[in-house]
Amino acid sequence: MNNIINDIRDKARQLLAEGKVDVVIGYEKGSLPLKATPFFAHSPAEVDSLIWDETCENNLATYVAKTPGKKAIVAKGCDSRALAVLLQENQLVRDDLYIIGVSCTGVIDQRKIVAEVGEILEAGINDGKISVKGMAGDKEYLFAELKDATCQTCRYPNPVLEDVHLGETIAVSQEAPAFADVIALEEQSAGERQDYFKEQMSKCIRCYACRNACPLCYCQECFVDCNSPRWLTGGVNRAENLFFQAGRVLHLAGRCVDCGACTRACPQGVDIRALNRKMTKDVYTMYNHEAGISEDGKPALNEYTTNDPEQFLVKE
Amino acid sequence: MGEIQVEAENKKYEPKIAAFLCNWCSYAGADLAGVGRVQYPATIRTIRVPCSGRINPLYVLKAMANGADGVLVSGCHPGDCHYISGNYVARRKFALIKSLLNHVGLEEDRISFSWVSAAEGIRFAEVVKGVTERVSALGPNNGIFKVVDDGGAAADE
Amino acid sequence: MKISKEKFGQAFDALVADYKVIAPVSDGSGIAFTEVKSFSDVKQDYLNSKLPPKAFFFPQHEKLMSYKKEGKDVTVKSELKVENTILFGIRPCDAKGMLLLDKVFKNDQYTDPYYYERREKAVIIGLGCTKIAPTCFCSSFEISPAGSEGSDLFLIDLGDSYEVEVVTEKGKALADRLALAELTADEQALVDKIKSAETPSKIDVSNTTSKLDKMFNSPYWDTLQEKCLGCNVCSFSCPTCHCFDISEEVRKNEGTRVRTWDACMAPLFTLHGSGHNPRDNKKTRWRQRLMHKFNYFVHNNGSMSCVGCGRCIKSCPVNMDIRQVVDGANKAELVVE
Ligand code: SF4
Ligand code: SF4
Ligand code: SF4
Ligand code: SF4
Repeated sequence: MNNIINDIRDKARQLLAEGKVDVVIGYEKGSLPLKATPFFAHSPAEVDSLIWDETCENNLATYVAKTPGKKAIVAKGCDSRALAVLLQENQLVRDDLYIIGVSCTGVIDQRKIVAEVGEILEAGINDGKISVKGMAGDKEYLFAELKDATCQTCRYPNPVLEDVHLGETIAVSQEAPAFADVIALEEQSAGERQDYFKEQMSKCIRCYACRNACPLCYCQECFVDCNSPRWLTGGVNRAENLFFQAGRVLHLAGRCVDCGACTRACPQGVDIRALNRKMTKDVYTMYNHEAGISEDGKPALNEYTTNDPEQFLVKE
Repeated sequence: MGEIQVEAENKKYEPKIAAFLCNWCSYAGADLAGVGRVQYPATIRTIRVPCSGRINPLYVLKAMANGADGVLVSGCHPGDCHYISGNYVARRKFALIKSLLNHVGLEEDRISFSWVSAAEGIRFAEVVKGVTERVSALGPNNGIFKVVDDGGAAADE
Repeated sequence: MKISKEKFGQAFDALVADYKVIAPVSDGSGIAFTEVKSFSDVKQDYLNSKLPPKAFFFPQHEKLMSYKKEGKDVTVKSELKVENTILFGIRPCDAKGMLLLDKVFKNDQYTDPYYYERREKAVIIGLGCTKIAPTCFCSSFEISPAGSEGSDLFLIDLGDSYEVEVVTEKGKALADRLALAELTADEQALVDKIKSAETPSKIDVSNTTSKLDKMFNSPYWDTLQEKCLGCNVCSFSCPTCHCFDISEEVRKNEGTRVRTWDACMAPLFTLHGSGHNPRDNKKTRWRQRLMHKFNYFVHNNGSMSCVGCGRCIKSCPVNMDIRQVVDGANKAELVVE
């Protein structure tokens, strides 16, 4: 792992020193244990803060279009997929972008730890083991136990798009996408699902962290902020919250790269993923499409075939 | 007493259905049904759109939020779009809207999609009858999207 | 004075008959202040709630009035139903936060009736912190993790009993319903020890306000905000943030006027009707956030409007740490203007 970090720093230093880019977007160590934080290196002197490990949970593609000038970005699989969708949608200029690809074994789900050992006081990652000193006790975890739900089903740990690859690549075991989580919900009755989402939506405080963390929620004016027409009243209750999430998820259908950034960003622990994953599954099963797996092509909803399924039509 | 009253109320209950109809086909189909004096329930509130491709998923959500008991979206048969591919693109969107709303627990029959051409006046009436029956069977909007009238200030539970 | 937890629990359950009682409850993903009916529902061992208790005085979304037009008649209704309320288990940072909100909603120029009614009818039972989270830094603001400022009645957990401090008249009225006993010398020593504790994490804010006076045009703001997503998490989770938006929800002939939390980090916050936005980037928004808390509020109200609860640090999706932000401002070089 340390070699990778050195390689990232060297590459960043070189890009900045040679004036190839104005800024390198990567991660640095955060202020809390097991937290990395997005970092913007503007000069070669700053690159030694850059890191790369299992705590680098943010999707940095979110920043690319908003950061002026030429930029390099440290991109793991899902970041690169988001970049691919952004390129498909003409949101980025490829020539202004230098992608430093890194393969990712997954990121740590902090919530699992906090639920068991309380607030984390200290933690260390060593050889695939994570030892944590928490306020309510100490524990040593295997990384596999802490892997974020998104990463457990990830099929693109290696960047799909990159200008340089640092470190090793990772073998992918899954041939086809697995949707056990979605199927489990589908198998429940409509009433049970309704209850589940009611409960989830009543937790939402409409802070929009999910939207803002999402690399593909880039609208200049989000429909929730739109005054004319006014889609939402500004009320914060489960009905309006569901309107917001359903609207958001439909806007992301066929574009969402299943990076999990939205769900990790949510301070209230809302299961946003359950909605996005349903759309991902539908898009895959109906249109055989996965978002952002290459720079070419279009998002699933910008395309069609003349024989797309239409079971959803009325019987008459 | 209870049972009889329920019967009477059920009979009176007329769902309100927001119908988004494509100008070039279903809207004309509705017109044809009218001209031909084909009877169908007066449950739909028609909103004319230039193409089924114009349907924003938010229209469907907003209709539900504003208290519609059902939504009907109808456009030209695939291949017949006035704008060539509008309904093909819409078809994917519709499939996903329907699937997502079903997933979050909205009853299947609240939201209906159909293709009705300008020549299918009788069929249009059939569709409206069918949709009306199914929405009536569900009863009023159960409010998973429905906004409380005070703008949501009163928590609904 | 003290009371055994058992006796306190009985008294608590009796209070439920006369008051709406709000207390910390574990909701699966954290601690939330919720109405409870029995002391047994209360989570007694907790760090702090996910969201601050400010919503009980200043709800996230609140109907101010409703109106209806029938023919030429317009009726306007404004109902405010406020029950006598007890807020139990409020931590010292949040209790202080309420004193700061008071300065905004109840001052010599304006008293907000909605806030004020609720505040007047509420009794705050504070609970001292015996465990301190790594994100807590209240001691930076002269708040003690076991300090009673802002509470009406203040408790410190001594294991089987609570030490009870009567802070205000309101608190005294409640204390009269408790069978209080004297502390033993050992217990007193324990209380003294808890009271003298400080948060391990502290920031130096001694010169921050005057430094910020000179920093409006500092380049510090240029890079500070780069990673911020501009969400509302830090504002909504802050016990002292109090900005709101007022909107009309009108349908046909009737409507309501509602007040909703707003946040200075949101693009809509300062958007004018003309389309002009005087704070149209994250840089000016973050400047506003820091300035408001550590400079403007001090000038206007004589106190900083951060109480070191650490919620924004814990909840920020990109780990923006206000302690580092203040520290950075303390250290930033001044540009000569
Ligand atoms: S991040 Fe969570 S709480 Fe915030 S708006 Fe999204 S779902 Fe709601
Ligand atoms: S919706 Fe969520 S999972 Fe999908 S791309 Fe956006 S942040 Fe990632
Ligand atoms: S919570 Fe973090 S990302 Fe969100 S506005 Fe505050 S500082 Fe920015
Ligand atoms: S600024 Fe952050 S630490 Fe300070 S009171 Fe607000 S939420 Fe708590």
